Amino acid sequence: MPRTIAIVSIAAVLACLAVYLALAVPGRWMPSAHERSFGAAQLTMPRGVAAMTGNELIVTRAAEDGNTVISVTTDLRAVDYPVIAWIAAGFPADAHVALLWQTDVEPARVNKRALEVEAGQLLPADLHRDPHWLGRIVGLALVVQGPVEAPLRVRGVIAKPAGALDTLRDRAREWLAPEPWTGASINTVAGGSDVQRLPLPLLLACAIALIALIAWLLLRARGRDWIPGVASAAIAVALVAWFVLDARWTVSLVREAHATASRYAGKSADEKHLAGEDRDLFAFIEKARAQLPREPARVFVVADADFFRGRAAYHLYPHNVWFDPYRNAVPPANRLHAGDWLVVYQRRGVQYDAGRRSLRWEGDVTVPVELKLLDHGGALFVVR
Amino acid sequence: MTDALRLADGWVLVWVFGTLVVAAIQRRSTRQRSGESWAWTIGCGFFAGAFMVTVWMRALSLAGIPFSFARIALPMVIASIALAVLVRRRAPADDAARTPAAPDVATLSRGGRALLYVLVAWLALRFVTLLLDVVWTPLYPWDAWIQWATKARVWYSLGQIVPFGRTDAWFAANGALWFDASPNYPATVPLWQVWSSVALGRWDDALMNLPWWLVAVALAIAIYGALRESGLSPLGATIGAWLASSLPLANVHVALAGYADLPMAAYYALAALAAWRWSRERTVASALLALLFAAACTTIKTPGVVWALTLLPGVVLALMPRRGPRIVAIGLAVALLTLAVLAQTDPVVLGYRLHLDFAPAWLSLVDSLFLLGNWHLLWYAVIAAAIVGWRVLRSPAFAPLSATVASGLLFLVVAFSFTNARNWVTDQTTINRAVLHIAPLALIWTIVVVHAWLHGRIRTGSRGSVDPAAAASAA
Repeated sequence: MPRTIAIVSIAAVLACLAVYLALAVPGRWMPSAHERSFGAAQLTMPRGVAAMTGNELIVTRAAEDGNTVISVTTDLRAVDYPVIAWIAAGFPADAHVALLWQTDVEPARVNKRALEVEAGQLLPADLHRDPHWLGRIVGLALVVQGPVEAPLRVRGVIAKPAGALDTLRDRAREWLAPEPWTGASINTVAGGSDVQRLPLPLLLACAIALIALIAWLLLRARGRDWIPGVASAAIAVALVAWFVLDARWTVSLVREAHATASRYAGKSADEKHLAGEDRDLFAFIEKARAQLPREPARVFVVADADFFRGRAAYHLYPHNVWFDPYRNAVPPANRLHAGDWLVVYQRRGVQYDAGRRSLRWEGDVTVPVELKLLDHGGALFVVR
Repeated sequence: MTDALRLADGWVLVWVFGTLVVAAIQRRSTRQRSGESWAWTIGCGFFAGAFMVTVWMRALSLAGIPFSFARIALPMVIASIALAVLVRRRAPADDAARTPAAPDVATLSRGGRALLYVLVAWLALRFVTLLLDVVWTPLYPWDAWIQWATKARVWYSLGQIVPFGRTDAWFAANGALWFDASPNYPATVPLWQVWSSVALGRWDDALMNLPWWLVAVALAIAIYGALRESGLSPLGATIGAWLASSLPLANVHVALAGYADLPMAAYYALAALAAWRWSRERTVASALLALLFAAACTTIKTPGVVWALTLLPGVVLALMPRRGPRIVAIGLAVALLTLAVLAQTDPVVLGYRLHLDFAPAWLSLVDSLFLLGNWHLLWYAVIAAAIVGWRVLRSPAFAPLSATVASGLLFLVVAFSFTNARNWVTDQTTINRAVLHIAPLALIWTIVVVHAWLHGRIRTGSRGSVDPAAAASAA
């Protein structure tokens, strides 16, 4: 019985994969061509501003006409490479992004295909049915319309034969992609890469359903009470499937524990903060705390970024801190008292007039203050 | 190293104290006499102790007595000694009254034993990994440092609970109130961090999060106990504990500790299980535990009040098996009608803005429950259990627990379909954390329903309505 279940399970998983491949593989299942990659070093930037950092092209600004164009010269047979994947991240969900290409058959024509953005990344474009994807592809380009609000990271472009094995390899890569801790981890576990075209839980659930169906057919054909057999088989396979998912997850947990260890292990509480993402802010706040009285004082925190306002406040407790958690706001000047403290960290629009010993901010508000500390983008004042 | 030992001592004391409280209030009952309740008692013990230590800290603060290790620990030590004497005095009588135990590890086949040991090792690997993350990582997730540990930091430094207020009140108070992003949030979780810090003797925003790891460990033990009492073999119960402790989002809430969602999920699950146990045994001990954990729910997160209320349909069904379904249906209809009427005036309830605009984000919900890696195969299993165990889950033995699970799911559906919370579905933020509140309970419910259904089919070939106690004795 266990042997039968194992054989049926493997067959069911293979059947599910076969159905998926039939739907997903755009061209031949066993193409002769190999994947062609063009790294960031091979890219050129006709429009926009970018800089190379490591193996990434970091795009920081669009051209004056509002477009950003990244291009690469290629020599690909269109029929061999039906899928083009830009390896890029940092795109807002509503970004207007398109793939451009030129062929030797229609050299005067620039073809265009809009690209979808998911989880900040560009989804691959399947071009095998496009009437203008023909001949030899002599150039590829990525165009982003509109201003670049946050840096875009482009690692290159890959032309894919997209055969069955390539497709399976891509899916496996998505399932096994490292999932480092980020600010979003507390809300969602992607279960691999952020973008997955065949989520592993779905594949396994389909396989379990198929196994139950096969077990039902087999047992019914033998004229037995089929429910215990089908249920036992489905439960056993479901537990194995759960273990597969859990093994993937446990590897991710161990990997993250290792990353955490290399960053924080053996450090004191303060040293950990000095190794953290807000180390500069923490170092500044430590200096500011040395200036503040021992007893809790009223401290106002202003900063452009939500993150810095919240983190600065957190490091300042148990002082009686006020900050706006959700808006880049300054405190109402008429409610500040002499003896109140003000932490200004990377905040545009707050100006200190040393001659008058006062701060000025939006609305032409002026507050008499004394500067107590000025250090790396941060300043501490006490209201006079 | 010494201070880390003090931290461990502090929480061991809480756990021992809570375990003795749970053991002391347990009266002789059928299940207890079967000798299967040690895991349930120990698992629940942590949660009882962890809640009661915060009650004691609140009392100290009300009395104006500053926090110190001795002032918090000493009463627990004294109470633990007294409870230990009480429990020990009663123990011989219990031993004498024991009925034959349900199958233990020795009854498993060699393969079954091997599988059980592999699972225990696998669980140990997970918990060690999570412990390392907890003790090394300084407070990381956003809400943890903007609205939870903010209170802990102030209360620990000042040695007492001081009030937090919103902006207007804060300005008006002129230094008498403190401020953070959610000044109205309950105190239990920050008080855990305060107790950690008091035990440690200093502020360390990594080590203070040890209770999150303890929550995960204690919950796994309690689930093992609950499943054993529901008739599962040691191997089956261990598998259940593994499944529950493997939920990825729950693991994240341990590794990146500081949110109140995992404690909320744990207390809610235990409250529901204790209430279910009461519905089967009608013991004062189970009722007291259910009340204790339900009370704790209301002090952990603001929606904890609603989660506690979702226990009521199960209680009604237990008290009135015949008229109960009608009363529950009428109650739900009245509640939904009230919500609909309230929604006309656009009120804010527990921080959620109600409005009658049914527009659930189905695709995002499907992503969250079935496609992303948050829950492994949990929600597929819940649906399968509801289908195959349709008769079992409505049987008198299971109806109270099923009603609680259904009420909890209904609460989520209402929250994410009719309120501004739906905005958090589409961006995959609060949706998963809210689902986490019911995930462990849904998993346990799935296991017991499927077990009872399958057991019923195998034993009798009947349509599958099995009492958990009958399943236990047969197993």
